[in-house]
Amino acid sequence: MGPTEAPRATGVQGAGSATRGARHSPRTHLSGGLGLRARVTATFAIGALALSTIMAGITYFTARQSFLNERQTTDQRQAFANASLLQNSLRSPGTNVDQLLEQADTLPGSRSVLRSGGQWYATSISVGKSAIPDQERTLVLAGTPATQLFSLSGTPQLVIGVPLPAVHAAYYEVFSLDELEGTLRTLAFALAAAALVTTVAGAALGRWASSRVLRPLAGVTAAAVAIAGGQLDTRVEAGDDVDLEELASAFNQMTANLQDRIEREARFTSDVSHELRSPLTTLSATVGVLESHRNELGERAQSALDLLDGDLQRFTRMVDDLLEISRFDAGSAELSLDEVDPGELVRRAVAVSAPGAGRRPGGAGAVPVEVAPDVAGLRLRVDKRRFERVMANLFDNAAHYAGGVTRVMVERHPPGRVDGPPPLSIRVVVEDRGPGIPVPDRDHVFERFYRGSRSGQRASSEGTGLGLSLVAEHVRLHGGTVWIEDAPGGGSRFIVELPYTAADLVYPAGDAAGGPGGGPDRVQ
Amino acid sequence: MSRILVVEDDERIRSSMRLALEEEGYSVDDVASGEVALARFGEEHFELVLIDLMLPGMDGFETCRNLRRHSTVPVIMVTARSDTHDVVAGLEAGADDYVTKPFVAKELAARIRALLRRSRSDDTGESVLSFGDVQIEPDAGVVRRDGEEVHCTRTEFRLLCELADHPGRVLSREHLLERVWGYDYFGDGRLVDVHVRRLRTKVEPDPANPRFILTVRGMGYKLAV
Repeated sequence: MGPTEAPRATGVQGAGSATRGARHSPRTHLSGGLGLRARVTATFAIGALALSTIMAGITYFTARQSFLNERQTTDQRQAFANASLLQNSLRSPGTNVDQLLEQADTLPGSRSVLRSGGQWYATSISVGKSAIPDQERTLVLAGTPATQLFSLSGTPQLVIGVPLPAVHAAYYEVFSLDELEGTLRTLAFALAAAALVTTVAGAALGRWASSRVLRPLAGVTAAAVAIAGGQLDTRVEAGDDVDLEELASAFNQMTANLQDRIEREARFTSDVSHELRSPLTTLSATVGVLESHRNELGERAQSALDLLDGDLQRFTRMVDDLLEISRFDAGSAELSLDEVDPGELVRRAVAVSAPGAGRRPGGAGAVPVEVAPDVAGLRLRVDKRRFERVMANLFDNAAHYAGGVTRVMVERHPPGRVDGPPPLSIRVVVEDRGPGIPVPDRDHVFERFYRGSRSGQRASSEGTGLGLSLVAEHVRLHGGTVWIEDAPGGGSRFIVELPYTAADLVYPAGDAAGGPGGGPDRVQ
Repeated sequence: MSRILVVEDDERIRSSMRLALEEEGYSVDDVASGEVALARFGEEHFELVLIDLMLPGMDGFETCRNLRRHSTVPVIMVTARSDTHDVVAGLEAGADDYVTKPFVAKELAARIRALLRRSRSDDTGESVLSFGDVQIEPDAGVVRRDGEEVHCTRTEFRLLCELADHPGRVLSREHLLERVWGYDYFGDGRLVDVHVRRLRTKVEPDPANPRFILTVRGMGYKLAV
């Protein structure tokens, strides 16, 4: 292959769709930024997070309040019981106060502090007079029982103060809330974990719901892709979902309208072409009669007949081309595939295409066909009639604009050994020595009736203006591509690439009788 | 001078076809409908019939089918549409070949000449060809199956001879087109396919599962030995 592969992007694939999409029309913006699925998922996750956080908060604070109240009630009961016990004991003189206090500490984590006779007594070294908050101390000493929450070296404590007016004393009992705090911490942890799980579950639910909602959209997308690919009879099914029915029916309506319109246009072109065929048949037959009486005509009449004949042929070709185009537009173009030897195919096509080109000045009478050695033995599945049209149109084009085809090559792509792995495609290269086609025009020469910057050139009126666009259509119908490169040494090089499928290599094994090259049909 | 019947409803086309074919040396009768064509055909002898597909009343397909009931005369369909459907339907109705409008008179004449060729251009010189319970007498133009004569059109006969001439060999569609119809490489392979189908109904015990005329995928056809 030549060194210039780059202009391949300027192939034909884009030509049709690019021109069709050019019209300005109102557009409905669907959305921007994140995808629908991501957004639904995020919404579900955030919702689940908020909800579970609020629930967890409420649960935590309610539980904490209820635990504290319960604890306070229990502790107060004990403190008052201890206080009345102490008061009774202190009435009898000579009582050992310290010993009395020791007996009061019945619950674990509870410590007693007593002020009696101007002195402070405590059961624990760490919890003495100084540990009790000032406010609590004063209140109780003034004769009011009081309960207060406070913190002692980092741990929460509950102090209950009971005045003992009968013995001029005050009793304080300090309870550590360490255990309660631990329970609450565990609860908080459990609630946080639950919130997290809920959030993840919410996100998963969102993802599932969104894909569920989007599933019909996938159907619509597939249908749209099929329609864009030319399958105009594609329709969407709503199933039994009422919500989708509207979308489906609107979509189907749109497609039906589109199909109707395209078919009407194509039918019109097709009808016109067919209607034109009747007068053309008469014209062609009568001109034929005149041709066989040519010698009886005068010189001027002969010239007139030549003109008539020339343009009749051109007109006929144009009607044929229009009909062919209308079939492509209607999507009714069908491939009639044969398995052929690529070299043989191209040689035959050149043989029938070249004489027309050879008549013109500069057109080579016989164009050599160079078949690469590694093409031998390959069988190509191709619609012969369409391929012949491709070659004929390329030859016509070269004759009109570039003085005729100079070289035709058949290549295997990528190159390889005859017995190696099958190639991806077969390339047919058609070269001329003309002025070449400027890069910006290469996109457009495959458009219908495009003459562009070449319009001023000689003999441009001889073509139908549809030749190269039909080349592109025929090749595309085969699943192939056609593009233009610079020919080495000047001129243009048209490359027709036809896909090669591995199945083509399979020879029917049972036909040993024919054998390789044995059949009379094998022209090597 | 061979007599040709042209069935065409468009008067101008009819006249121009007559002019052109007479120029080629044929004697031409023309009629405007299928019904008239069948009536004329019953009374007189024609060597070839050209039928337009789109006729008012009885269309070209129907006319051809009716004609085929009691004649093996070569028939060329004239169609304005070269779509698969019309071509195949025309051939299945019994036509030997088809031309699309607008045709060039010289090409039509060449098609007519190919169909009117008296015998196959064979070089085997075999006097009797046979396979299974089928006997072919190329020179007499007779096909017998179990001793009973099978009515074949001239095209079917030539196709059968060509296959029987090369038993066991795969013959490509191009080869058959060239030998039987006189087409070049780019002839329409559907001609061969439809004729092979028709031939099978005449010589195969079970046309759906042929034992003699076999399809070789991607290659062509062969006569099993």
